[in-house]
Amino acid sequence: MSKVMEMRTPSGAPGARTVWYVLGAVVALALFVQAWIVVQARPQDLITGAHGMADIMSRAMPPAFDQFVPNLWPVLETIDLAIFGTVFGVLLAFPLSILAASNLTPALPLYYAARAVIGVTRAVPDLVWALLFVTAVGLGPFPGALALAVHSVGMLGRLFAEVIEDMDMGPVEALTLTGAGRVQVLAHAVVPGVLPSLLGIGLFRFDENLRSSLVLGFVGAGGIGFQLLTAMNLFQYQTVSFLLIATFVLVTCAERISAYLRKLFL
Amino acid sequence: MSLGQAAAFGSAGSDMPGAVKPAVRTTGVRLAVRDLTMCYANGHTALRNLNLSVNGGEMVVVLGSNGSGKSTFMKCVVGLNRPTEGSVKVGGRDLAALSGEALREARLPLALISQNANLVKRRSVLANVCCGALGRHRTLMSAFGRLPRDEIEPAMSYLDEVGLLHLARQRAGTLSGGQAQRVAVARALAQRPDVLLADEPVASLDPEAADEVMRLLRRLATEDGLAVVCVLHQPELAARYADRLVGLRSGLLEFDRPASDVSSQQIAGLYLAEAS
Repeated sequence: MSKVMEMRTPSGAPGARTVWYVLGAVVALALFVQAWIVVQARPQDLITGAHGMADIMSRAMPPAFDQFVPNLWPVLETIDLAIFGTVFGVLLAFPLSILAASNLTPALPLYYAARAVIGVTRAVPDLVWALLFVTAVGLGPFPGALALAVHSVGMLGRLFAEVIEDMDMGPVEALTLTGAGRVQVLAHAVVPGVLPSLLGIGLFRFDENLRSSLVLGFVGAGGIGFQLLTAMNLFQYQTVSFLLIATFVLVTCAERISAYLRKLFL
Repeated sequence: MSLGQAAAFGSAGSDMPGAVKPAVRTTGVRLAVRDLTMCYANGHTALRNLNLSVNGGEMVVVLGSNGSGKSTFMKCVVGLNRPTEGSVKVGGRDLAALSGEALREARLPLALISQNANLVKRRSVLANVCCGALGRHRTLMSAFGRLPRDEIEPAMSYLDEVGLLHLARQRAGTLSGGQAQRVAVARALAQRPDVLLADEPVASLDPEAADEVMRLLRRLATEDGLAVVCVLHQPELAARYADRLVGLRSGLLEFDRPASDVSSQQIAGLYLAEAS
């Protein structure tokens, strides 16, 4: 075996690396095949049933643009769900992220407690949170807004904590040595240092919450999602297509605006 | 620093060309370090029975190779490291025996300038300087990020003192290394300290900027009566600006005497001994 080959096979055995590559490829293929079986994939059904989809789509045309005015309120509700969820998410996630950042946490038990809260709120999907809150406060936008806020706490808390852990600790140490208190150091060194990143993440979360609020409407949280479900149940496909267009415009506008603001802050 | 560098500057005394030291007018002991010993958890002894007193109006430069204990000394003085034995007295209070809120209060007359200016880059130069006064203004509004109003005018005067008043409204992130270090000095002044510690303040600066910062520290000792303790790696700068030179080797005090009494061989010995 050439010297080059010897260097390329760390174990020294001929072609050991190739064996590992083949083994890796077999394992990856096996994973994909078991996924195919478990989801009961039947692509032929998609082809034979395509005419059903085409039928619905033809009945959805032309979109019912006369539904614009009656749906203005649900559109506002959808936007407000995202605003409420994001604002409360940011307000709760920031102090939690301070406790969950290893470089700033005042005590180890608080660090673990904060990480646990972030883990739980993040692991439970917003849809499940919405169902839980519906049982507590009834139907309407409020349980949806609460669900978005709680789920955002987990998502934002983790990202905020990572930003804080990556920050330059020099100014924090410098201000601590001037005799500034812990809260003063937070306000004058930590916040100015991480604020642009946090705002960027917050705006990105608003984007996500807007999309989630559509889905939450399906479980009674109001907004466009609820209108969409109602129209589908009543076979009003032209209204459905209008609502889908409205959703597309809403999400695209929110994406553009938040991208512009992120650029402005960063 | 190389041995060649150490030997190159010849006599370390104030009689060397370019020396910028006026007559020393000291105003009593501001920093008193007694029998300072620092053993780390791994058993390494970084400092052994170190004694050092610094008067107001005096500038002391600490020299020594890497690992000689200079940084440990600085950390022990500001209370970042708790010494194994000994005392560090500032304003009559022993920092080594304090912790928590008591240490924070006792540390107020002690300001530290690090190798990196450690400014908050997204804030203005003026805001950074005002932050030096936060220790005296622990108000609710300052906890919400508001700067102490009555500190703005003094902060402007400190900026004027370091020659950067014209940059007061500029973002700190836009400053050059030398300018940032001078802002760090102004922030330290906003603390109204009695003792100014500088840990390799010119390490990342070009010779001109380094000279500027050293000249500033010298002036603060002479005109404002501060006790200045500066760790340096440049013996030529030390000789030009310091009243006293302190040599550390393997955590032991090798010499502590007026700069004019320290020979280049003694300084070279600090580095030679560490290398061998």
